[in-house]
Amino acid sequence: MAQLRATFWIYITAWVVVVHLVLLPALYFGMGYVIRESHEDLFIEHARTFSRVLADEFEVGVALDSQTRIEDLLDFAITHGGARYAELYEKGRSIRSLYGSSEIKTPRSSDLSFGQGGDGIYFVVRPIEHGRHHAELRLGFDEQPTQERIRLALTRMIWLLAGYLVSAIAIAIILSHRLSRPIHRLQAVSRAISSGDYTRALNVNTGIRELHELAVDLEAMRHELVGVNDRLEAKIKEKEISEVRREELQKQLRHRQRLETVGTLASGIAHEINNVLVPIILFTDTALQDLPPSWAPRANLQRVLAAARRAKDVVKKILTFSRELGDAKLALIDLREVVAEALHLFSVLVPPTVEIQTEIGESLPLVRADTTLAAHLLMNLCTNAYQAMEGAKGVLTIGLSYQGHAEAGGMSQPRVELWVRDTGRGMDSATVERIFEPFFTTRSVGQGAGLGLSVVHGIVESFGASITVESKLGVGTTFRIFFPSTARLEAIEDFAVSVV
Amino acid sequence: MQHILVVDDEPDVRDSVKYVLDRAGYSVRTAESAVDALAELARNPTDLVITDIIMPQINGVEAIESIRRAFPSVRIIAISGGGNFGVTDYQPSAITTTAYLASAEKAGANLVLTKPFETFELIQSVEQVLGVGHA
Repeated sequence: MAQLRATFWIYITAWVVVVHLVLLPALYFGMGYVIRESHEDLFIEHARTFSRVLADEFEVGVALDSQTRIEDLLDFAITHGGARYAELYEKGRSIRSLYGSSEIKTPRSSDLSFGQGGDGIYFVVRPIEHGRHHAELRLGFDEQPTQERIRLALTRMIWLLAGYLVSAIAIAIILSHRLSRPIHRLQAVSRAISSGDYTRALNVNTGIRELHELAVDLEAMRHELVGVNDRLEAKIKEKEISEVRREELQKQLRHRQRLETVGTLASGIAHEINNVLVPIILFTDTALQDLPPSWAPRANLQRVLAAARRAKDVVKKILTFSRELGDAKLALIDLREVVAEALHLFSVLVPPTVEIQTEIGESLPLVRADTTLAAHLLMNLCTNAYQAMEGAKGVLTIGLSYQGHAEAGGMSQPRVELWVRDTGRGMDSATVERIFEPFFTTRSVGQGAGLGLSVVHGIVESFGASITVESKLGVGTTFRIFFPSTARLEAIEDFAVSVV
Repeated sequence: MQHILVVDDEPDVRDSVKYVLDRAGYSVRTAESAVDALAELARNPTDLVITDIIMPQINGVEAIESIRRAFPSVRIIAISGGGNFGVTDYQPSAITTTAYLASAEKAGANLVLTKPFETFELIQSVEQVLGVGHA
């Protein structure tokens, strides 16, 4: 069965009303009894005292023998004693005051109690013994005024109690509202917390110690929850970051594996072609030596030889890509010299529409590389850059900088960065993805074999360096090459030596 | 007349090298494998062996080592076109032409030559190894 639940103030108010509905009638009847009793007592006391005093007057002198005196005293009882009936009775005679009510009958018995008889009259009968007289003074007092006073007092008490009830209900309502206000605040905040908003503090200003302590306890709980929540969030964030990082690494690994596969294939093909080129070059060359100079087809043979030599160059480039860098002699070199040399050569080649800028950082450490290959690499990147800006104005920037605490592979590693930036066409992400593969080119047929950047990649690998590309269509491309700083290399070598 | 043995699994390479050296006045024989070459060396006096490095079964480096042990006076030129033994044998650290030729030199080759080479490079190399005037 569902339990009925009322709001706090209705609950309290209902209880107050119920309690008063039980208590107030009891109070009313109790108080009514006391009031009635006291009024009746006062009335009876007055009636008896008055009748005794009057009876004493009859016993003075010869009052009982004077008809006039008797009537005066009886009239006095009516006019000044509050009686409505006054009679002196003696065997054989009865004198009644003419001021009294004529319809009131002689009481059945003497000394009746208040309210009895139903006639609204209280009778007092007093014997008068004086000389030979044995008389009775019979007085009837009007109960009406006393009854009126009692009714009035009871009516006043009802009003008083009603006022009290209203005040009690009002106080109950106000008090319960005051009590429930901090509870409502607690409720609002805990609802906010349960709906996920942990930032709202449980700040309840109340004079009630229990509520204050409850608020403090809940605030402590919220604080703990916020802490738990923050830790959880941090953990989730950390996980997300590591997930992203892992994906990035996997992507790099896949990319590298593809390059290596392509490199392996290219290397195998290069070997085959080199073998094929041997007889072509040797037989053609010796044939040309043997044939007379005037022989017309000589020119054709010379073209065969030239084509074979071009093929040899292409193969050499493929082998460069697949790390067949036979001639690489790694030594500590100053990249600034490489840049200067490349600029010297390159300034002759570029059209005047391309502006060349340099941004060379200060205090650059030496890096382990090969001067000729590094220059070759830079020339390839520059050629690529200015071809991307062909037919338009553009800026080619070559930069060098030292990064003492660069983040690389999750660990801090000092490195030297060499970068080449153009303001050319830019590339889409699909192109960027494949840019280092041999024979991958965006240029039209005849403009290049698409080996330039695969050669760049091969050279970079042979230096133990790494290369990245950032490109945006219509904005330009930046190639960045990161050389491990020699300080670190030396540390590794020292370590290797100490291990050996 | 000096005797030269050309060892290569590629017939065209063998024949073209033999042709050039024949023309230059040397007595040239050929072998298509390291096993054949060792048998040929045992049969006939030889001054110079020109051997490929990447060959099936016994590769050139092993062949050079065997020749050095059995015929210490024979001079050797190693030739290679780079590449690798095969995709399955892929070893990133040992696939460069330089690495092959370096190991050939270490095994005892007097000179190494990268394929493809020009006629004059071949003749000059042979003359250098045999010593000019011995012809």
